[in-house]
Amino acid sequence: MVEAKNLSMKYEKGGQYALENLNFYINRGEFVFFVGSSGAGKSTLLKLIIREIVPTNGALKIFGRNVGRLPRHRLPYLRRNIGMVFQDFRLMEERTAFDNVAFAMMVTGASRREIRKRVPHVLGLVGLHDKAKARVCDLSGGEMQRVGLARAIANRPAMIIADEPTGNLDPGTTLDIMNLLRGINLRGTTVLVATHNREIVDRFKKRVLYLENGKLVGDEQKGIYAHVH
Amino acid sequence: MLMFISGFFYIIGETLKGLYRNRWMCITSTAVVVVTLFMLGIFMLVNMNLGHITDTVKEQVEIVVYIDDEAQQEALDELRQKLLSHSGIETVTYVSSEEHMARLHRQLGGMLEGYDTELDNPLLASYEIKTVVPESVAVLAEEFKTYPGVSNVFYGQSYVESLFAVTGVVQMVGLALMAGLSITAVFLISHTIKLTVMMRKREISIMKYVGATNWFIRWPFILEGFLMGFVGAVLPLAGLFYLYQFSVEWVSANNLAFLNLLPAQLVIVELATYLVPLGTGLGILGSIFSMGRFLRV
Repeated sequence: MVEAKNLSMKYEKGGQYALENLNFYINRGEFVFFVGSSGAGKSTLLKLIIREIVPTNGALKIFGRNVGRLPRHRLPYLRRNIGMVFQDFRLMEERTAFDNVAFAMMVTGASRREIRKRVPHVLGLVGLHDKAKARVCDLSGGEMQRVGLARAIANRPAMIIADEPTGNLDPGTTLDIMNLLRGINLRGTTVLVATHNREIVDRFKKRVLYLENGKLVGDEQKGIYAHVH
Repeated sequence: MLMFISGFFYIIGETLKGLYRNRWMCITSTAVVVVTLFMLGIFMLVNMNLGHITDTVKEQVEIVVYIDDEAQQEALDELRQKLLSHSGIETVTYVSSEEHMARLHRQLGGMLEGYDTELDNPLLASYEIKTVVPESVAVLAEEFKTYPGVSNVFYGQSYVESLFAVTGVVQMVGLALMAGLSITAVFLISHTIKLTVMMRKREISIMKYVGATNWFIRWPFILEGFLMGFVGAVLPLAGLFYLYQFSVEWVSANNLAFLNLLPAQLVIVELATYLVPLGTGLGILGSIFSMGRFLRV
């Protein structure tokens, strides 16, 4: 599902590698943590996967396609298969929870009827069935991230990518969100989470890829955060 | 087809929502368009009318060739022939010495009373000539002086020359001002629209992340730009129409008939064919160009 071969990324010519010679393979349906301190290259890796940036060297295959060679006009179709969750939620705050989720579906050309059926369903999945009409700016941080999750799964993507999804949340809410992500994973969706939250990594005991200074320094099934050092 | 229709309604809906949500920014942008196009419109009105007035004056410019009353019939025939076949001449009118005297009578009224005009008429017969190109009178007048049977040539030399000099300068200045204002309008309008788009870059980046195609994102913005540009052009047009109509009425009420102004309807139609495409075009292009940067996510 995600395959990196000698993957390297430099932001500036002659500058330092943000990622250097990464090799890994992630199977369909896996739950993977990318861990490492700030600047280790986690966000760069996620940006490469959604092809916000293009690798300097090597290849990155998503769903069997080399994203570095993906023509620009195919990009939207790649992203419709990847649900994204952000630390800062990235929601349209003036609009309702319903609108935010519906928007992701509208973009793919879903019909009104489908949207009216699917949006309440996914909001129910993340426990927000009674907040559909609330404006996002009136919700709590945890609720906002639930809207983000609902938006990410609305189009039934094959993969969810979460960049520090709990970075702005308190410990209790963090656990709720992570449990939701695990639930999504149990239904067959591949989930990739970049985090430096030691507790949740240790608690969930999933596959962990350790990044340090742009290099992959460890890849463990049922890993725990402490192994980084 | 179904998707196309739902997409169409989506775009209309998003456009209206976008305009409402960002109403203050949109009102500001539209106001900038209104003010700039209004000023541009005023300059255009002034220039159009100056052009019209000078054209009217130019039409009245003529050369008078006085005929030597002692010339031989042969010379007179040759002169007549030369004038009639000249390519630079539009019309030639023969005015006899009797006709000149009659005109003088009309102009002076009773002042020539008792003067025996039929026996002792000192006035020369003449040809009144309108040239094809009004600016060519000076050159042609010199040429006519060399013709046989010509006593003298008159064309109001200093008057005509200074008239052409002044109108030429005024129109050039007007054109320069209009060009300057047009460029200013382009900058002002595209920058305000850029601001409107920048305030929504977050929204645009979210659209990109959930997999919206560039055109899906662009259409509502383009339509917004079009509407802002259209309203921004129609409002000043309406204002200019009433202002201009008022000026035309004021001029005729104050007996300034020599200020031969163009009719309001005609002028506004011509203004509209310039300002409406300019406004809407700038709105659309401004939206497309200012979005380019944010679409590259």
